[in-house]
Amino acid sequence: MPPWVNFEPFIVSGLALGGVYALSGVGLVVLYRATGVLYLAFGAVGALGALIAWSLTTRAGAPGWVGWLACVAVAGAVTLGYGLLFGPALAKRDPLIKAVATIGLTLILYGVMDLLWTASGGQARSLTLPTDNGGFTVAQIQVTWTQVIALAAGVVLTAATGAFLRFSKLGTAMRAMANDRDITATLGVPVRRVEAAAWLGCGVLGGIAGLLLADLVALDATTLTFLVISSLAAVLIARLRSITVTFVAAIVIGLLHDLLTPIASLTSYRDMTPFVIAAIGLLVLSRHQVMTQSREEA
Amino acid sequence: MSGTVRATRERASPSRIARRPSRPQLIKASITTVLLLFAFFALPELLSLYYVDTMTQVAVYSMVTLALGLLVGRVGLVSLGQVAVLAIGAWSAARLLFATTQPYPLVLLEAGLITMVAGVLIGLPALRLRGLYLALITLMLAGSITVVLATVNFPNGGHGFLGYNGSLLHIPPIRRPSIAASDPAYFRYSMVVAILMFALVLAHIKTKPGRAWAAIRQSEPAALAAGINIWFYKLWAFALASFITGVAGGVLAGAIHYLYSIGFPTQDSITLLAVTLMGGVFSLWGAVVAGFLYQFLPALLNNWGVSADWLIILFGLGVLQVLTTAPAGLADQVPRDLRRLGRRLRRRPGGDGA
Amino acid sequence: MRRHISTRRTILLAAALGLAAAGCSSSSTASGTGSTPASSSSGSASAGTVSTSSCGSKPGVAATGTPIPLGAIATNQPGTSFTDIPNMAKAYFDCVNANGGINGHPIKLYIATEQTNPAQIAADAKQLVQTDKVVGIVGNTSIIECSVDSSYWQKLGFYIIDSGIAPECYSTPNSAAVNMGPRYSSDGAVQYALAQHVSKVVFDQANVPGTGYIAAGPAALAKAANTPIVQLTENVPITDASSVAIKEVNDAGPNGAVILNFTPPQALVILQAAQKLGLENRVKLWGCSTPCNTDFLAQSLGAKWNGKLFVNAELTPPDGTNTTAMNLYKAILKQYGTSVQGGIGSFSQMGFTEAEIAVHALQSITGPYTVQSVNAAFKAVKDFNTGMLCQLWTYGDYPLHIPNNADYTVTANNGKMTTAQGCTPISAADPQIAQYRSAAGTAANAP
Repeated sequence: MPPWVNFEPFIVSGLALGGVYALSGVGLVVLYRATGVLYLAFGAVGALGALIAWSLTTRAGAPGWVGWLACVAVAGAVTLGYGLLFGPALAKRDPLIKAVATIGLTLILYGVMDLLWTASGGQARSLTLPTDNGGFTVAQIQVTWTQVIALAAGVVLTAATGAFLRFSKLGTAMRAMANDRDITATLGVPVRRVEAAAWLGCGVLGGIAGLLLADLVALDATTLTFLVISSLAAVLIARLRSITVTFVAAIVIGLLHDLLTPIASLTSYRDMTPFVIAAIGLLVLSRHQVMTQSREEA
Repeated sequence: MSGTVRATRERASPSRIARRPSRPQLIKASITTVLLLFAFFALPELLSLYYVDTMTQVAVYSMVTLALGLLVGRVGLVSLGQVAVLAIGAWSAARLLFATTQPYPLVLLEAGLITMVAGVLIGLPALRLRGLYLALITLMLAGSITVVLATVNFPNGGHGFLGYNGSLLHIPPIRRPSIAASDPAYFRYSMVVAILMFALVLAHIKTKPGRAWAAIRQSEPAALAAGINIWFYKLWAFALASFITGVAGGVLAGAIHYLYSIGFPTQDSITLLAVTLMGGVFSLWGAVVAGFLYQFLPALLNNWGVSADWLIILFGLGVLQVLTTAPAGLADQVPRDLRRLGRRLRRRPGGDGA
Repeated sequence: MRRHISTRRTILLAAALGLAAAGCSSSSTASGTGSTPASSSSGSASAGTVSTSSCGSKPGVAATGTPIPLGAIATNQPGTSFTDIPNMAKAYFDCVNANGGINGHPIKLYIATEQTNPAQIAADAKQLVQTDKVVGIVGNTSIIECSVDSSYWQKLGFYIIDSGIAPECYSTPNSAAVNMGPRYSSDGAVQYALAQHVSKVVFDQANVPGTGYIAAGPAALAKAANTPIVQLTENVPITDASSVAIKEVNDAGPNGAVILNFTPPQALVILQAAQKLGLENRVKLWGCSTPCNTDFLAQSLGAKWNGKLFVNAELTPPDGTNTTAMNLYKAILKQYGTSVQGGIGSFSQMGFTEAEIAVHALQSITGPYTVQSVNAAFKAVKDFNTGMLCQLWTYGDYPLHIPNNADYTVTANNGKMTTAQGCTPISAADPQIAQYRSAAGTAANAP
């Protein structure tokens, strides 16, 4: 067992990783609460947006903010398009079916991304944000402002969207729609508009997260698309309900993952951390009751 | 009065109801038999080795999609980790094939049983979860297995429990059965195994477990009220699906000779679910269609120089199509569309009148 | 409801067709069999001071005889694509075909791609041999193809010319590579670090097939230099580069070296994480095997890495080399290499070199071009000056082949890779290198 001082830098990097997981995880739960759909394509739309931003800034020489705007716009448009096309048709179905449908979207985006941004020729792409250049030092390692922003974004998202969904009129309408579309419609809520707003908001969120994750993790379609799988761990522990629990779980998972790094016997298995925690968490949470995700539970 | 009741009871007994197969069923059975015989005897002669190898993969993955379709279609359990189960089966078979000189069928059986035990152990606690939670936890478990496999690797003739030697300059191939060493012979061998697995599933469907599963799929509370032990039958489905996938893993090991952990990534489970849905989860033919989609189509496109990415896009579109418009998949949709086309063609000559 | 369903179906169909149209028109689609060559105008010097017509024996005369079929298998999957290598070989062959061919016979290269699926790779090999009837294999570049097909090639008597990765590419009689592969390239990087008198080496590699085989090289070198070595592996794709970088730096210590063996995107992610954490100065030096030798990487890293990163280069650096072969390579790439995505770089250089060797061998054949004659010619290549390697290249009749066993070291300098050290032989402390040199001797350096 290595000495404590070896673990210190990993606490810092673990918090940063936790921020990454939290960004995806909180995004997923927020979307679920607003639309009733576990949007598994969250990583893929973010990746698509980030790659477009990369192409615009690196290949076409556009200024940074144009790329970011394009990223968010594309992510929003794709998500909105998906929501309008397939949302109503699947609204009455089980949440499982709705989630599997987003897998379809994920595969489409994944294929498109590999076609348009190929890996041949040994090309290595990276996206850097201006906030990468500054930072401060903790435990002998540097923390960039980007990492701080990611963590802060997670916190802000948790607090703001929680409040929005609970207290605002639009937020309540979204929750009602996610629960039961038909009854909400009969109550006089402009269903199509609220739905569009929910999906657009989700897409914008995915685009912003995509930019940050492309900077923090890697600008690689495969990595970013399937990062959601690890983020699902935090989502599952929160049982797709509590945004705060998702955030906290994500931070804990990130910390634990990195704290295992200096332990030689466990370091090769540390990528299992999210999965094992999720499995244990779910099994512990369900030991007294059968856990089912019906429509009424959104 | 009592005589009528007795007569009714007699008429209603299951053995009498199931005795006489109907005409469409007989036609379907004969077509199936003809196709199978053709595939067994003629295909290896007609196809190039490239496609014979591909057809072996189709046979292997038809078993996997059969198992997944069983879980999804018959019992309503979505598993996002079937490729990890396949990896367990392949691992077990490879370890046994390297460590022992047991005959191949015995190794396949053992691999199936080991995988079944693993499936049951995993399924046991997971069965308290339903729907989306169950699907996601299978994804989590599959992710764990993938990471373990990346570290532990597949057996390659080394010593110890794991049987992996990382420094080998020449990796020995996994052996095949002595009667099926060549590629065409191995295709026939894998076909026989696949037919046996399909027969196993058919036997289940036609008897008590099949009826219990149908009742559970229809409505769990109603099944519970009817006295069906839901937990037991769900576990049975898990066990059967794991067994079949394990056997498929064993056949896969012999087919490809070399196993690598990068060959069983987590995202493949997602693609597998996509093709299983596209093929159709409510019929056995759907599993075969899914097998073709998963292995034959990529081989075809590869041969024509079309990038594999197009196939990923196609599968994504297929999932969306199936879930929104054709829940029963291609296996149900294509015959239906053909029948509709046939009806329209038959109507034409009469109503056309220039 | 029915109208709704058909609308959605139409949209799905339209989306599919739209994607197909976009794909067909997109220039960045990497097709498996390579695109048709650019206009084979004879004698036009489109780049450098060399006309492409010098690739063939009869400038300007298109070859019209019966084609000589050759085959290549390359990995092409999301995240890893080696198609540039056979595509560049094909470009070279196209040039030769436009300028006399091989005694009037054009070369037809069949390229099969695979997604690291052993069944598919075995099937591809059989397809090439049985259906496409290839008489030689030139340009194979695959993570596991050598392992899967080695016994098949041996059985059929094929002596393949490839860019190797798997152990069997370097340890069997039937494969000779133009590159050094991950093990010997990592040896080169570790060797350079050891020569700078580092106190400890940390060797970190991607967890793909062959890690034990690859690690054995650096381990032997470190042992011979009495330097402790730490062996690490990382699952790829890496999602948490920060912990990887911190671990490496902690293990290496301030006077140690961190040597990486990853594909360019993964290596970049680790190095960038190290920079963001402020760790790039915490070790004596960073090293990398050949995949890092791309200008993409140098540009992405920037000036902060000047003098810190030393990359093993298996091939002669294209920048600043004004030889005939290098100029011909650049000219052919420009005129015929439309399907080569990465442009000037080690991938296309390898493709060029393999094709060059094949053409040289084929031109020596008198009589029919059969499996026997072509592969005998390949095996007979001896002391050939490719103009792309440190040494003269030999196939020969040996139980194993490591014909490229001397390397350059390049370093990242203001966004470009520049030479830090000229041709240096890989140390014979690596037992495989020792075994090869005892069988084949030490090849002379190219003039």
